[in-house]
Amino acid sequence: MTTLRTEGLTRRFQGLVAVKDLSFHLDAGEILGIIGPNGAGKTTFINLVSGITMPSSGRVEYKGRDITYMPAHERARIGIARTYQLIHPLENLTVIENVMIGSVFSRGKSLKEARRSAEAICAELELDRLDRDTAKLSMLEIKKMEIARALANEPEALFLDEVMAGLNSDETKQVIGTVQRIAAERNLAVGVVEHVMGVIRELTQRVIVLEAGELIAEGPYEKVSKDPRVIEAYLGGAA
Amino acid sequence: MNRNLLRILAALVAVAAVALPAFAGAYPLQVARNVILYMALAITWDMLLRSGQISFGIAGLFGLGAYASVLGVLRAGMSPLLSIAFAGAFAGLAALLIGFLILRLRAIYFSIVTLALAEIFRIVIQNLHDFTGGPEGLVLDGVILGGSASGLYWLTLAGLAVALGASWWFEKSKFHFALTAIRNNETAAKSSGIDIFRWLLATFVITSVIQGFLGGIYGQSYGFATPDSVFDANFTLLPLAMALLGGIHSTVGPIFGAVLLGLAAEWLKLQIPYGHLVVYGVIIIIVILFIPGGLYGLIKKANRASEGRKA
Ligand SMILES: Nc1ncnc2c1ncn2[C@@H]1O[C@H](COP(=O)(O)OP(=O)(O)OP(=O)(O)O)[C@@H](O)[C@H]1O
Ligand SMILES: [Mg+2]
Repeated sequence: MTTLRTEGLTRRFQGLVAVKDLSFHLDAGEILGIIGPNGAGKTTFINLVSGITMPSSGRVEYKGRDITYMPAHERARIGIARTYQLIHPLENLTVIENVMIGSVFSRGKSLKEARRSAEAICAELELDRLDRDTAKLSMLEIKKMEIARALANEPEALFLDEVMAGLNSDETKQVIGTVQRIAAERNLAVGVVEHVMGVIRELTQRVIVLEAGELIAEGPYEKVSKDPRVIEAYLGGAA
Repeated sequence: MNRNLLRILAALVAVAAVALPAFAGAYPLQVARNVILYMALAITWDMLLRSGQISFGIAGLFGLGAYASVLGVLRAGMSPLLSIAFAGAFAGLAALLIGFLILRLRAIYFSIVTLALAEIFRIVIQNLHDFTGGPEGLVLDGVILGGSASGLYWLTLAGLAVALGASWWFEKSKFHFALTAIRNNETAAKSSGIDIFRWLLATFVITSVIQGFLGGIYGQSYGFATPDSVFDANFTLLPLAMALLGGIHSTVGPIFGAVLLGLAAEWLKLQIPYGHLVVYGVIIIIVILFIPGGLYGLIKKANRASEGRKA
């Protein structure tokens, strides 16, 4: 079943076209890789889908419903969650409170119920000592907390914008396992942005490649990584 | 510190506050009434600050409330007590309409607009001569509760109780989560389903209702309202300085700050007329530069450090 679909999605910033005429779909139970060189438009694309940025033109559909101009907080409530490339811990709330807010506001739970479900999510992600300030967390714990906060919305579509960045290889392995597990258990539609190709290869069933805002290739990682346009885009970016 | 001990202490202070007229003369009661009024305003200012919005408009809503209540009695024949409730409702309605226009603004833009609005209220009221009495203002036939010193004190204390109750409710309810999340990171707040505008509007209206209500109490307590008295910038500056000194983002901080600064101001007023204003300014600067958490912040930090040592 298609959870999320875009058609001709475009976002301009003054002269620059950050996302250009992008059509894609994301299905329940699928983990999709979203890759491309720096500045390709990956984060902007997630912003468009999650309502943080509004498109210049095009259309976003969630479970058959047009949500192109729906505000971000409403999208969180109907089941679209995400994490941020630049981490966004709420520093005046404790770890458990950070996770609770999705349950409280997206799901409308009482504080008591929200605390209980946040505790369950944190246990699932092996995040402990939940009454700590976020300032005391390691990078791994912050990343887990951000995933937990997204999950507290009880989403059907989840976007992870470079959650592995800043983690060592053991921690990366751990988070890959966690993402696979939570996605499978919840039959989530997941979009993952990562720069490390090993992560993409291991985690995703399908990949879309962006370059300068345009979708230039789509398919399983093994196939896409041999596409001359993709190789050119990455080499061009590196040169 | 022991939680139960703190509760007992708070209960004792509350009892002492209610019983004060039994053993204090007219002058100390008058001073206490002032401190209590400013304390209540400081708390309402802090409640909105918990969302990150800095209002310079307290005097505007306070003055609006004072006029609403005096006009309610003079022009609509309301009883003084009813007029105080009306003052809260009127300020709340004004805040609701204004909120739709200004709560999309952030940071300095929001602050400046609230400051300007307070000035606009004052100028409009000053120029509606026939209805508001213009610059000379309005005088009531008598003061509420027959002007009894203890009666007026208890009335103001009731105003404080409303502010305290609301602030405590904010700390214990979803407001705490919504406002803190909005203050820390609006983008993350949105992505967790928080309707930022709705929470800001609710907070702005609730705090304005209380500010208007306090203005009503003030107007009825003195039996008059003039543009210069009820829109005095002190009603904005003093609560702000008190909350900053005591410690922002809490109920306890503004209470500390109001007691300290209120009493200091009273003493300074006698020593150097107008000198107290300089002192407020200096305190605001020192606190912002050196103790951004205020005194309550210092205590919390010390407490945490000692608990850390125990652990
Ligand atoms: N708010 C904005 N205003 C102006 N330009 C922007 C804005 N947001 C993004 N851009 C531009 O849009 C382009 C795409 O940026 P985006 O952050 O989406 O890329 P990305 O693929 O996520 O890159 P990275 O891998 O470095 O995270 C960049 O050129 C960026 O400078
Ligand atoms: Mg990015």
